[in-house]
Amino acid sequence: MNAGNQIKKTLADLQDFYLLSINSILKLFKRPLYFDDIIEQMEYAGSASVFIVSLVCLFVGMALSLQLSAELSGLGLKMYTGKIVGIAVIREIGPLVTALVFIGRVGAGQTAEIGSMILGHQIDTLRVYGIDPIKKVVIPRVIASVVMLPCLTIIGDLVCLIGGYYIAVFVSNQSGSFYWSSIIEELTFQNVFSGTIKPFIFGYLISCISCFYGLTTRGGAKGLRTSTTKAVVISIITVIATDFILTRILFYALGFNV
Amino acid sequence: MIVFDNVWFSYGDREVLKGISFTANFDERIAVLGESGGGKTTILKLILGLISPDKGKIIIDGVDITQLNEEELIPIRRKFSIVFQEGALFDSLPVKENVAFFMRELLKLPDEEIYRRVRELLRRVGVEDAEELMPEELSGGMHRRVAIARALAVGKTKMFLYDEPTAGLDPINSERIMTLIKDLADKENIGFMIITHVVYVAWQLCNRFIFLKEGQIVFDGNKDELIKSNISAVKDFIKELFFRI
Repeated sequence: MNAGNQIKKTLADLQDFYLLSINSILKLFKRPLYFDDIIEQMEYAGSASVFIVSLVCLFVGMALSLQLSAELSGLGLKMYTGKIVGIAVIREIGPLVTALVFIGRVGAGQTAEIGSMILGHQIDTLRVYGIDPIKKVVIPRVIASVVMLPCLTIIGDLVCLIGGYYIAVFVSNQSGSFYWSSIIEELTFQNVFSGTIKPFIFGYLISCISCFYGLTTRGGAKGLRTSTTKAVVISIITVIATDFILTRILFYALGFNV
Repeated sequence: MIVFDNVWFSYGDREVLKGISFTANFDERIAVLGESGGGKTTILKLILGLISPDKGKIIIDGVDITQLNEEELIPIRRKFSIVFQEGALFDSLPVKENVAFFMRELLKLPDEEIYRRVRELLRRVGVEDAEELMPEELSGGMHRRVAIARALAVGKTKMFLYDEPTAGLDPINSERIMTLIKDLADKENIGFMIITHVVYVAWQLCNRFIFLKEGQIVFDGNKDELIKSNISAVKDFIKELFFRI
């Protein structure tokens, strides 16, 4: 494909992605709403992801606490471990790590599932009988992601802090009660708000990207591999870039000093 | 009536259909023949408005469907029942729920009535014992039968569309599917269009044959004309037929 055609295709893809994202919101208010599918997707995206999110967050929390304890003890500031772990996890690391795990587990699954439905003509079958694939297939996944990613983030934050606590208390010999009290001190509106708003946006973006690449799958098993890979890569880049932009906006809006 | 008027279609840079034109009545029994990847399934998708042509008109019952949106296409699509290659059953649903799916979604019938109809349809296509099975547990032939039952579930249509109904099946199952297709057409008194690359299947079921070669229709005629055709591509393709009949 020459450069001109490639640009045209990219622009067409962007337009299609934009339409899918908008339609997944607009069609939410039109009947029918497929409650059974929403519940099924929430179970897949949420409760089935708790273990993997907890496992990853536990190790991230421990690694973070270990790094901070080592650096801060050299400066005689070891008692700030809890405070810094708390701020980093609640504002940034918790939402981001959970979103990245969510991309790998749920986003990739959504692309593969929808892609397989495209290749097996199941989506075409829905369209033939007048059932809108956006309502039947996309919206339940978007709702599940937007609802379940914030829930997973709260669990991930908590497990991350528990991992940090374990290292701070049992490896770095700090006071456990001081660790928790310094974290509780950081549970301000600004910190909690900036950490909880992100997962809603990440969930929406991840599911829209995943569904888009699933719906545009072409060309058999190789095509499915390509679309799943693209969905994961684009989701990761989008989430990290959006995280930076959101952080900048939230810092400005919530009056953080930089 | 289906009218294709100078229809062009391409996937990216690859031109699949190059200005094809034909007219078909709903009560005809038509086979679209040609090599794999030659654009046969594309014709079915164009008839249903699942894809739009790059150029040309597709007219169904007097309506040019190339300009219609998804909502406007619904009544056009309801004129057809389609059985896609390998059935396109929903993997996560057992057989009875697959057949019940569109009755539940579109006809809004009570569960009792739905399951009564499901049992009746499964009995009609000869897989009444499979209602609790998942699609992955079905053989290729059973898959197609369940897909046919599901296509019948939404009510009477004007024409059946079959995409490679016997692909990947052993001779016995192929024969069963062909008998089922013929019986349904006879009993319902409606025509069908079969996409296939197996000329024997087409010969057994159809009385009109459209032959595609490199994106163009190189032959369109009845059984006599097919046998007597001097077009080399058609002659090569129907060699198997002479052997079997």
